[in-house]
Amino acid sequence: MSSALDRQIRPIYDALDTGSNKSAIVACNKLLKKHPKNDLIKALKALALIRSQKVEESLVLCDEVLETKPTDDAVLTALMHVLRGLGRHNDTVTMFEEAFKKQPSNEDLGSQTFFANVRANHWKSAHQIATRMFKQFHDQRYLYWSVISAVLQANDATTPSTMRPILYKLAHRLLTSSPTPSYVNPDRFYLHLTILLELELYEEADTLLDSDAGKSICATNLSCNELRREIWRRQGRAVQEAERAEKLIVEKKDRNWLEFLAVLDGVLPSSTDSQLAEGDVTQKLKHVEEVLSKVQEEDGLKDRSGPLALLELERRARIHGVAKDQTRMLTLLQNYFDKFGDKACCFEDLKPFLKTEDDTLGLFRASLESVPTDFTTVSQLIRLINSFKILRYTLTEADITVEKESERVATYAKYYFDALALGAGLPVTELQPADDLALLAGNALISLWQLTGDDKYLYDAVYLLEFALTKSKQSFLTRLILIRVYRLLGASSLALEHYRAMQVKQVQHDTLSHLILSRASAFSLASSGDLTLASECLESTQIYLSNSQETGDFVVRAFTAEKYSQIPEFIKFEERLENSLQRDTVKVEHLRMRLSHEAITSDLIDMELIELKFIFDRTRYDNRDFNILPDYQPRVSSGLNDQTLLFGKPEGDKWLSAFLKVYIRAFQAASDLDDTVEEKLLIGDRPKQTADSKLSLRERLLQKDEEELDSLTSEEATFLEYANALVNWIEPYYDYARPPPAVVLAEAAKQTQLKTGHPLKGVDINPVNGKKEQDSPAVTDAPEVVVKYFEAAKERFQASLSHSSPTQALHTATIIQEAFLLLVIETFRFTPTVVKLNKFGLLATQFKDLRTASHDVLKDISSSLKKRAEADGSSASKQADHASKALVPTKQTTNCVYTIDDGTGVIEARQWLDASNEDEAKKWEDIQEQQYVRVTGGLKSFGKKRYVNATHIRGIKDSHEIYFHILEAIAVSLILERGAPSSAGAAALKKTEATTGGMSAYSAQNANSTRHDQYAHLTELQQAIIHFILDQPPREEGIHVAQIAKAIGANADDARKIGNALDALMDEGHVFTTIDDSHFSVSQ
Amino acid sequence: MSVLRPFKATDMFKFNNINLDIWTETYGIGFYLSYLSRWPDLCCVQEAPSGRMMGYGTLPFPTHTLSSQLNTPIPVLGKAEGPGTEWHGHVTAITVAPEYRRLSLARKMMSLLEMVSEEIYKGFFVDLYVRCANSIAIDMYEKMGYSVYRRIREYYGTLGVGKGGKDEEDAFDMRKPLARDVNRRSIRPNGRDIIMSAHDAT
Repeated sequence: MSSALDRQIRPIYDALDTGSNKSAIVACNKLLKKHPKNDLIKALKALALIRSQKVEESLVLCDEVLETKPTDDAVLTALMHVLRGLGRHNDTVTMFEEAFKKQPSNEDLGSQTFFANVRANHWKSAHQIATRMFKQFHDQRYLYWSVISAVLQANDATTPSTMRPILYKLAHRLLTSSPTPSYVNPDRFYLHLTILLELELYEEADTLLDSDAGKSICATNLSCNELRREIWRRQGRAVQEAERAEKLIVEKKDRNWLEFLAVLDGVLPSSTDSQLAEGDVTQKLKHVEEVLSKVQEEDGLKDRSGPLALLELERRARIHGVAKDQTRMLTLLQNYFDKFGDKACCFEDLKPFLKTEDDTLGLFRASLESVPTDFTTVSQLIRLINSFKILRYTLTEADITVEKESERVATYAKYYFDALALGAGLPVTELQPADDLALLAGNALISLWQLTGDDKYLYDAVYLLEFALTKSKQSFLTRLILIRVYRLLGASSLALEHYRAMQVKQVQHDTLSHLILSRASAFSLASSGDLTLASECLESTQIYLSNSQETGDFVVRAFTAEKYSQIPEFIKFEERLENSLQRDTVKVEHLRMRLSHEAITSDLIDMELIELKFIFDRTRYDNRDFNILPDYQPRVSSGLNDQTLLFGKPEGDKWLSAFLKVYIRAFQAASDLDDTVEEKLLIGDRPKQTADSKLSLRERLLQKDEEELDSLTSEEATFLEYANALVNWIEPYYDYARPPPAVVLAEAAKQTQLKTGHPLKGVDINPVNGKKEQDSPAVTDAPEVVVKYFEAAKERFQASLSHSSPTQALHTATIIQEAFLLLVIETFRFTPTVVKLNKFGLLATQFKDLRTASHDVLKDISSSLKKRAEADGSSASKQADHASKALVPTKQTTNCVYTIDDGTGVIEARQWLDASNEDEAKKWEDIQEQQYVRVTGGLKSFGKKRYVNATHIRGIKDSHEIYFHILEAIAVSLILERGAPSSAGAAALKKTEATTGGMSAYSAQNANSTRHDQYAHLTELQQAIIHFILDQPPREEGIHVAQIAKAIGANADDARKIGNALDALMDEGHVFTTIDDSHFSVSQ
Repeated sequence: MSVLRPFKATDMFKFNNINLDIWTETYGIGFYLSYLSRWPDLCCVQEAPSGRMMGYGTLPFPTHTLSSQLNTPIPVLGKAEGPGTEWHGHVTAITVAPEYRRLSLARKMMSLLEMVSEEIYKGFFVDLYVRCANSIAIDMYEKMGYSVYRRIREYYGTLGVGKGGKDEEDAFDMRKPLARDVNRRSIRPNGRDIIMSAHDAT
């Protein structure tokens, strides 16, 4: 390329780097006039186009350049980004492969081709390329790349199981051919061991492990040591492993629990599935007991390993029938509790040993009953809490009665309030040591609700736990129970508030969003109302986007750094996130909300249909975290999670599949896209199908599954029946009326040509509009299930209104609305023209009748819900005062309610009193009726009624403040109505904020400043860099270092500092390089 | 008493009980993956016998010193000068779930990571940053053999509480020498009085 042209192209890169795609396109067009054949300019234009969402135009250009089979590095890089944007990973692979074929001596091109295959999970070709590269360039690393590619191919779900041993043998052969031994690098060694383990080549593995190099690697590398342990275990070398572990425990004072387990495994296997080892068990038992007792003595209170290992030994001795002394278990349990009863984890440690059936448990319980209940230290308190937890866990069915559980609630609550004194001086960021008592009471109250079905217990749980939160503001465990209880009570916005307060971030969205989003559409009913849940859905799915954008890069990095132990793990992580059950559940939940909030158009139907079909067949991973809930329920009960699930039914894979079937069928019946059309129009790769696909999609959609039905609530099951009947009835008519694929394609081609000036490839634009050969199907009456659905559902709705919690009523109402929307979707295409053309007059009349009938039902329901909301608002607040009095024995009330009127409206302000803090209560004593006050606090809603949760109330002394309030109210209303002031103003505000450090009452909460808080610990320069990168429009390839330097630095010295700062930021993991070493992006 | 094992990418699905605590930040997946793709043997997890995660820690070596390590010959012990002696591990994250505190888990993870820094990476010292106001943590680190090497001004953002004043925003850079630091250059008695701006410290 001439240097003149080079100079002219530079500004295009700059424009792309700064996100000014429009000017990049203009610059490209200008240059293309002079150089109409230049591939680089075309590729860059395609990139600018795809970034401006002009997919069709970008596609044309991209294909044009691809056809020339480019080899130029710059062109390839640009195209790689275009193809990524289009989701065409397979084409990226082909492009690099072609280029590498043309220039087989280009090592860099070889690596690029290899990485393209890695990103697309094409392990077979990756393996071949790496093998070729090793032959040609003789770098050891390529040999290992080819080895691990073979292993990854063997592990891939799409590889037939018969291929697995063949591929592993191939990998082994390659390794054996390596001129240098694998132990020069722990990760190579690790890979070698994995292969030997899979092929059961234990002798060879032992040779490696017994070598000095092998021993030293295992001594310092936990991953390799894990493999060594497994190899020994598979060979049945438990005794040898036990000797090794014992040596570590005794000589090196190693206290890794794995070593203790190894020692125990040497005498007694952990379950009766495996045989007892030969030889004199009694003798060995005695020896191990001695060793462990010695450890116990030596460590004292410093380490729990010794006593816990003795317990585990006794448990195993019992199941193998070699335990001699029946009282020993009790002694060990008591001994453990005496020593470590004051550690928070004592209960969890002892849990596995509380399942004995003889009188040990009874005796242990009796000894716990006598744990002193008066405490003056935190240690004593924790000991008491542990005794409560164990006693509760080991309750029998007979102990779980309304009367006894009520007593327990009173006990837990009493000690909770007593114990608050112990944490009185703690800073607000700390957790109260008493928290667990409130959680125990919460558990018991939920148990009472289960026993009686009376919602008052749930309200009691709310009052107590909300109070506990005022004492322990950071207690996420308290919030977790509150979220569940609020949802049961139908107070979804409060649940969401607590969920948000936990600051769930990044990958946690995948594991925790189920807390708030499972069956969330039930709480997102009103189209004019609450969109927060819908936006929460979108927010929680960001992580899947970053997974698909980032994780692949790190897999490539792990290859470059030769971290073979990590590569399979990274791929597993990527796959689990990509195919997450929660991801698809949120997708369906969001779709259900979307349909009730948005206008139903053919575009929406077509797009959603394609997406749903893509996810329908996935093998999904359940990453949801249910263990996080503080479950202190008796082991004979079903556990806190099951007890507090909405409608008692979890949303699992089966639930998802049932709803996917309903919507795919409904959309199919309403879409002009059939498979031929979809095939032609689809841009990008299809997802890998992992499910067994011997059956056609249609057959799989029609499959009945009893487990699916079981996972539905009765309301959902009735809905499913209705949906099937409806679609079975309508489908034949629309199948008949649907325009033929050629016509649909021609229309699409016309649209494309209008936009791009190029016709769509391979599509005939003037199809023959063939006459339909068959007569139109005779119109039958609507099935009874469909006709009668709405009336019956209305009755169920009326019945559900009698419950004190509105959740069931909301659920029924949402499902009825959903049924109505299905009707709308499926009848949507029957326009008057279609009806006339196909002689569907009779059908149209039936549609009309159905719509009118269902519409009336929905209107009724809507007005009943409104009435209910008004009634609930007042009764709920009454109950609040009542119950808080009952639960807090020391004070008259825990909260005061003020009615505040500023002339524009009236609102309640609720103030929670801090019973232990006398000063605080006094401060607010002088508030009189009919006085001007200023209230600071958060807006909350309870039972559809809004109130201010006041954190501070003070009387107004300066009359200007009243005018200030009026102005403030006007400003805020205007911001809400018309949006925040223009950006220039906002930027100025941001600056003043930064300098004064205070928040202006007029500026809407500045999203940037909160978003960046996590970087507050960095240096100024580092912060400036991060903020600059974040302020740029998000781009996959990140921001070029030159741009950063231009924006932040002024001279050459700064450039060096910026370089150092970037290095430091990378070390801390805040930023990472993207396409090359000079593009950076912020890891979020 | 706990299982000590390597940190795996999939542990990100399990660490909620640790990360929901306010003192532990949840970063983007890139944060964890970038450490794992470079220093997998310096990332570890403590796990309860029940499989619940108790805590985790990472102690990577900063990259810029890595490149200087690879490009320049390792200096001979004793007359160490230049970037080679700055070769060290930096504790970036060490965190334990609230219910497992006071069991010296942090100490056990640190000693493993120090051992790896010493034997595999041949570092001169290990260092970490801690708020000057966090006297409990400072005491703990001192018991583990760390000492204050310097004070870094305004390293942390303010907590908003403001009680600690300067001690809250400033950080101590605490260091513990490894065997290779024969002259104990990473220890100095007046470390608390040597003040640097955060800008120069990086």
